[in-house]
Amino acid sequence: MNRRLWNMFFVLGVWLAVAMCGVGLVSLIGVIAWYGVGAINLDFLLTGSQNFGADGGIFYQILGSVLLIVGAGVICFPLALGTAIFKSEYLANAKMQRLCAVLVYGLNGVPSIVFGIFGLVFFVNILDTGISWFVGSVILAMMILPTVVLASFQAMNSIPVIFRESAYALGLNKWQVIVRVLVPQSIGGTVTGLLLGLARAVGETAPIMFVATAFSGVSTPGSLLEPVTALPTHILALAQQATDVHALQNGWGASFVLICLVMMLGALGLMSRLQLKGAR
Amino acid sequence: MRVWTLLILCSILGIGCSKREAVMVSGSSTVLPIVSKAADRFRMQHTDMNVVVNAGGSGVGIKQVGEGKIDIGMASRALTPLEHEKYRAVHLNVRTLALDAVVPAVSSEVYDAGVKHLTLAQIGQIYKGEIDNWKEVGGPDREILVIDKEKARGTRHVFMALVLGDKEAEAPGADLVLGSNNEEQTAIVQSNAAIGMLSHAWLNAGVKGLAIDVNGNVIQPTRENIENGTFPITRGLFVITRGEPVGVTKLFVDYLLGAEGQTIVEASGYVSVR
Amino acid sequence: MFLSAKIGKGYVVTCAMISAMLIVVILCFLAANSWQAFSQVGLGLFGWTWNPPKGQFGMLPMIYGSLAVTVIALGIAFPLGIATAVFTSEMLSATVRVYAKSFLELLAGIPSIVYGLMGVAFLSVFVQDVFVLLSGRTILTGGILLSIMILPTVITLCDDAMHHIPMSYREAARGLGLYKYEVVKDVVLPAAKMDILGALLLALGRVLGETMAVMLVIGSLDKIPTPFWNVLAPGQTITSKLGREMAEAAFGSLHFEAMIAMALILLFFVLTLTVVSLTYFYNPEGRLYE
Repeated sequence: MNRRLWNMFFVLGVWLAVAMCGVGLVSLIGVIAWYGVGAINLDFLLTGSQNFGADGGIFYQILGSVLLIVGAGVICFPLALGTAIFKSEYLANAKMQRLCAVLVYGLNGVPSIVFGIFGLVFFVNILDTGISWFVGSVILAMMILPTVVLASFQAMNSIPVIFRESAYALGLNKWQVIVRVLVPQSIGGTVTGLLLGLARAVGETAPIMFVATAFSGVSTPGSLLEPVTALPTHILALAQQATDVHALQNGWGASFVLICLVMMLGALGLMSRLQLKGAR
Repeated sequence: MRVWTLLILCSILGIGCSKREAVMVSGSSTVLPIVSKAADRFRMQHTDMNVVVNAGGSGVGIKQVGEGKIDIGMASRALTPLEHEKYRAVHLNVRTLALDAVVPAVSSEVYDAGVKHLTLAQIGQIYKGEIDNWKEVGGPDREILVIDKEKARGTRHVFMALVLGDKEAEAPGADLVLGSNNEEQTAIVQSNAAIGMLSHAWLNAGVKGLAIDVNGNVIQPTRENIENGTFPITRGLFVITRGEPVGVTKLFVDYLLGAEGQTIVEASGYVSVR
Repeated sequence: MFLSAKIGKGYVVTCAMISAMLIVVILCFLAANSWQAFSQVGLGLFGWTWNPPKGQFGMLPMIYGSLAVTVIALGIAFPLGIATAVFTSEMLSATVRVYAKSFLELLAGIPSIVYGLMGVAFLSVFVQDVFVLLSGRTILTGGILLSIMILPTVITLCDDAMHHIPMSYREAARGLGLYKYEVVKDVVLPAAKMDILGALLLALGRVLGETMAVMLVIGSLDKIPTPFWNVLAPGQTITSKLGREMAEAAFGSLHFEAMIAMALILLFFVLTLTVVSLTYFYNPEGRLYE
């Protein structure tokens, strides 16, 4: 058949696909922004929710989401940094490197609901911690650990050999090299990974719905062992009453705020990545 | 960056010092509106106390209060013999908070087209899949969207015990299985041919409650008929504690059963027990 | 000085041990808590009916639902995604491409629960009207919703795969007088094949494990539709079943253990995918997408 005709079909097909994706994805953002912005005002952001979330605002949901990821970050950061140092500086054996990669990637592949179920079995039922902020943070930290470890590892691994050699030449021992040279040089990568991981964690529902969040009556948690309330689980409750105009409107508002949180974390991550590049 | 983290952490620890006494409540989504509204008011009156409310269904509420994971369980059905047996040692204390009816609810389109009442047998046939078009019960020529509920839901227990004779009966005619009253209400409104089981308090312009035809007597799901028990699928809504409630838990239970709590019961669309 | 080195080493070794063992611990706990289900229900786990009060724990409807949703989602997202990636990688100017890719990254960050809200509010109503159904909560709705959800990731990954191919390949092909279509078909796509396959596996894992969006729109009926290709009927996936029913089962009961068994089977699927993609598509410099 005519080659030129085939080519035309091909270009047409590609444009068609682009049009479909474009229209679909742009309207996706458009819808959320349109309905979301309409639902938001200062009252909505600064008051607690009432009446199944159909009335009132989402202040404590925002607070809870932030608390959950702050906790996750605090737990994940030292763990990921230590793991990355070990993987990069102590683990010389190629076979072990590979095993390590399998385990870390494996953890990354675990579906989010399975994390939630693990939390339910291990923390809530076996350790009997109750539904709490702490468990939610631990589970989210586990979930983002691979991302942070990998980002940190790559940053550490890409430090030129000359840095290490010069440091050793000055008579520093291995740990001193790590603390004085490698960690400061690669910390940007860890932070980037952490921020990107948290951007993902803040939007997750399935890992926290069994182990960390309560439906109503949660304001500021009094301690780490009290439940919190979070934006994603709140949206879940609102989505189940989607024909109630007020609930749906608040749902869009909460979605918009949640996406803004994700974007803020993502943008911070991007900035730290660029800064990292600039420093080199 | 690390300084920031440290600052945030310190402020959280600061918050952590002001510990309040908290009552944990969980269970039926039918009882939830009463308790969560009551909890909002209760917190305003007792700023040093907190009530945390969670949903999940009657089965979950009974299970968790039995296991001591929460202080108060909410249930929209009585305890089963199995549950009695299982938690005999902890002595569950069951109090009636309100009266409610489980109403066969249909999309307003079906109601307006003439289906205003059904017999229990007809509803049973619909859930068994033997009737699958509204015209067979005097409605429009439209297939029936039969909405079932998750098996642990109290509303389903009460409904199925009367309609199919077994609280855990299978419903082979079901097209959808949903969870909370909110979710079921949404699905019925979104359809023009749906039937589901809903608490009396969830009926509105888009979701109409059917009257039940008992030997030719058409009994409407009204307040009076629920109060005097003539509506066939009437039930109590319960709050359950482990033994006699004490401390803040007692305070909150008393609040629920007291004048203010019962006002909230009425305002939520249920029938007060006082 | 010496002591700090020792403590330091101890710290990193501990961290590494914890990180490495997490996945093993998860597997062990799930296995230990589903052991009863496997030993008492055994092959009954692969039956057709799920009815815990009667002691029936057949998961075939859920497994079917997960597979059906996955096939639909990938079947829609991949043709569209690859075609769009051809556009972004081969036809767009470098500046516009950067903007397009940032937009896609933004979209990829939208949490799944937001897709769920969209699904309930719009997509299920849309499907109900278009196909004149009783209810828009169907397997197809779940599949479409998931395809929209993974589309940004698929486009990004396929675009990366194609863009990594050296310019000289294309120039040589153009020099031979080939049309754009032939360049893409005979040069770019074959060269990017492995990376695109890797993207497919990644998307597969993500779709299989996705819960929230599916749970809200699939109808949650534990039944394989008749005939089985009728995806306009409600269904249930492994994840939606877990999301809805996990909290209702009493810890330690057979019901609870059967649910855990289902989670374990899901995890096993996904881990196999991970190992396969590591074996064939391992890229030590690669980024971790969701």
